[in-house]
Amino acid sequence: MTNREPRVSSTGTPPWKSPVVMSVVLHLVIIVIAIVGWSWMDTPPEPPPRSISARLISPQPEPSPVVEPQDQADREKQKRLEEEKRKQADQARKQEEARKIAEQKAREEQARKEAEAERKKQEALAREKAAKAKEAARQKAEAEAKARAEAKAEEERKRQEEARRKAEEEKRRLEAQRKKEEAERKKREEEARKAAEQKRLEAERRLREQQLEALADEARKAKEAEALKQQQAAAAKAREAQMLSESEKYQALIRERLSQAWYPPSSATEEMTARLQITLLPTGELASVKLVSSSGNTAFDNSALSAVRSLNRYPIPDDRDTFERYFRQFTIEFNPRRLR
Amino acid sequence: MNLSTQTKALALLLSVGLFAGCSTTGETMDEGGAGTGSDVSAIDQEGGSTVYGGGDEGGVSSSGLTDEEKQAAEEQAKQAALREITTFYFDFDTSEIKPEAREVLVAHAKYLASHPQQDVRLEGHADERGTKEYNLALGERRANAVKRFLIVNGASRGQIETVSYGEEKPAVMGSNESAWAQNRRVELVFK
Amino acid sequence: MTQRTRTLSRHVFLAVVIAMTALVNSAHAELLIRITEGADSAIPIAVVPFSESGTMPAGDKVSRIVQDDLTMSGEFRPLPPEKMLSLPSRREDVYFRDWRMLGQRYVLVGELKRSADRVSARYELFDVNRQERILGETASASVNSLRTLGHHISDKVYEAITGVKGAFSTRLAYITRDTFKGKPRYRLQVSDVDGKRARIRLESQEPILSPAWSPDGKKLAYVSFETGKPVIFVHELATGKRTKVADFPGLNSAPAWSDDGRSLLMTLSKDGNAEIYRMDLASGKLTKLTDHWAIDTEAVYDHTGQGIFFTSDRSGGPQIYHMDSLDAEPRRITFGSRYNARPRPDNEGRFVYYVHQRNSAFHIARTNLKTGEETILTRTSSDESPSISPNGRMLIYATKQGDNSVLTVISADGGAAYSLPASEGDVREPAWGPIVN
Repeated sequence: MTNREPRVSSTGTPPWKSPVVMSVVLHLVIIVIAIVGWSWMDTPPEPPPRSISARLISPQPEPSPVVEPQDQADREKQKRLEEEKRKQADQARKQEEARKIAEQKAREEQARKEAEAERKKQEALAREKAAKAKEAARQKAEAEAKARAEAKAEEERKRQEEARRKAEEEKRRLEAQRKKEEAERKKREEEARKAAEQKRLEAERRLREQQLEALADEARKAKEAEALKQQQAAAAKAREAQMLSESEKYQALIRERLSQAWYPPSSATEEMTARLQITLLPTGELASVKLVSSSGNTAFDNSALSAVRSLNRYPIPDDRDTFERYFRQFTIEFNPRRLR
Repeated sequence: MNLSTQTKALALLLSVGLFAGCSTTGETMDEGGAGTGSDVSAIDQEGGSTVYGGGDEGGVSSSGLTDEEKQAAEEQAKQAALREITTFYFDFDTSEIKPEAREVLVAHAKYLASHPQQDVRLEGHADERGTKEYNLALGERRANAVKRFLIVNGASRGQIETVSYGEEKPAVMGSNESAWAQNRRVELVFK
Repeated sequence: MTQRTRTLSRHVFLAVVIAMTALVNSAHAELLIRITEGADSAIPIAVVPFSESGTMPAGDKVSRIVQDDLTMSGEFRPLPPEKMLSLPSRREDVYFRDWRMLGQRYVLVGELKRSADRVSARYELFDVNRQERILGETASASVNSLRTLGHHISDKVYEAITGVKGAFSTRLAYITRDTFKGKPRYRLQVSDVDGKRARIRLESQEPILSPAWSPDGKKLAYVSFETGKPVIFVHELATGKRTKVADFPGLNSAPAWSDDGRSLLMTLSKDGNAEIYRMDLASGKLTKLTDHWAIDTEAVYDHTGQGIFFTSDRSGGPQIYHMDSLDAEPRRITFGSRYNARPRPDNEGRFVYYVHQRNSAFHIARTNLKTGEETILTRTSSDESPSISPNGRMLIYATKQGDNSVLTVISADGGAAYSLPASEGDVREPAWGPIVN
């Protein structure tokens, strides 16, 4: 449509009536409609929360049927308006064309008259010459002149006939061309209109689709998020279990190492229990140890402390989370069950 | 066989004893503590020697023996031969007199009955197994068992003295069943 | 709006669940590891040879005595000095890392100084893992009593680590038997617990049996056959004064002291059968404690000083019995085999130790008085005369080595065995003396 513009403007029609303006207007109208369309899209008081489930999809598009009729009327009105405008443009165009034909005819008449005048002037000149020679060769020339005159007249007639035919032909051609151009233009305009309409509908559809898509997307995302959350929960649970089993493994290792390192004093009895809270570094090295509950026997307490301190490195899981949860700080209870 | 074992054991004991004697002497000398000497009280006691029953010889005339007399003499000889046996053996941790010992013990009892002036000492022993004090009691019980048997068979209580040495005076050295069997015993010592 | 509320409540629920999980986790977080068993081996300790200034008498070094004492207890595993990286004698020279690397739990360092006829020992005991000094003292002894000094240090070290009084300064009484000039020779001897500094207290050609220490460690009661039969004597060690306390017809044996040292338990058979009596030493008055056709002997007071343990074959074979008081009904303690005799209880009422026959072998066993559980403590096979150390931690007994009897010390739980140097033939009937302050 844009590349049509120069040709149209060359016709010298007033700018406000030009297709460009109309096209702009049309676009504006579309945009307005689109905005109106948007506005209802925007109107829902609250954007649906991200985390909602799929259930929320159905209520959301509800506003559209309410707004749809109004939109339909608008479009009807718009159509009528456009039709009217189009008719007006057609009429104007017809008048213009009539005027143009008249002008053409006038111009052709003028030319013919001018040629006639010239021809008459030439003829008078010739007649003056002939009159002069008439005396000299009037007899002889009479016939010649007569023949020449006759041939000339014939030629003139033929020429005139030719010119008229040509003019007629040109006129017909012009008319056909004009008609053809008009049809093409009309067709193009119709196509453009249709395309615009199509585009508008397409845009609308796309917008709608986008919105639906967005909604669906959101729902999907929410669903995914939920699934992810559940998956994470399951994974966390599995991890928990894994950490627990890891922890048990290392508990057993620590128990074994400490049992080997512990020399219960001979004063130990099965009633004695010493509790030590120990803190480890992530390397497994002992950071600190605190006697939280004494056995009541210094030698026994010392034997426990000495055992705890004797390990250069505690066996701990590689997994940092498991370490942090279970082995960063824990309690060791020394309580002989099987004294020899 | 027994003899050689005994000899060996004795030799060993002797050599160890010699060693021990040397070192002990050294230690004692070192200590030189006042009163140590007075602590040591070596009691002079002729122990460990078994005195075999003596003096049953009387004037015996060989003339004019009747059959009865002859029988009696034979019986007497047999009894005397039986009385040659003065050691009686026991099973582990028992004080039961074995059947084969009965006839001999009866002979001893009869002899004691017919010789009221004859005293006898019953020395009870145990093998080395078990505890010394229990074995001491066990030795005594064995001696008492023999004592009761003798009394039942005619000996008088006053003739009999018992003593237990427990496992302290083994007849045979060694830690084997044969030695133990020979050490679980009661010896009759006639005075 | 309702949807939002629902969503919100969902969130809240989720949050609660998470918080609860966190709570549960935090409850998990305080891990508890329970250690119910200790190392099965002896405690590694480095007894560093003490530095010396001044001339020391010849003989064993003090630190060597300590090392041997601790080894004998069965509870310690001293590091051989040649394996030590350094020989510090003061704290500033102790590099804990080195000792830790050597696997040592404790380090004992010290220095000896002689001044005139006395030697003083300044010593310190360190816990290697805790890097703390747990004992530091200066002790002195006469120059001729370095063994006394060594045993004293052993006692202190032992007590500092185990919480139990050491028994290394106590004495042993035992009987030796050899042959001298073709005749048997019995000797009653008294020595340090490691068998050193032995002194002969009595010598006889007749058997000597069953030495028993008075509670004050000043007297020994024993059975001597010097008169041809078993007679009980009480022997004052300091003066050598001997008293014949029981010379009744039949057996006079198995003396055992009461806690106050004023009376003796003994076995007499004056009435024909071996029974247990209590004799008041001052008056000589006898109280008959058992009356049974069976053998009743080897009586000893229990840890309360009120009841007694003894051996009786009233069930057919010798077994251990206990009477809660002197007039209580005897209760059988041992059931594990046909032969269990010569009970020796500890001083805490936890165990009773005795001779136990299993198959054809005789072992030392003990029974847990609370549970009745019986444990065989020795691997040797002709074991006799168990005697428990006054701290209840060590046990000495006699066992056969070839044809001779030797003394062996084990920890009371049956740990490592330590044979005392036997230098004089048969060594038998050890009696562990009391701790004397």
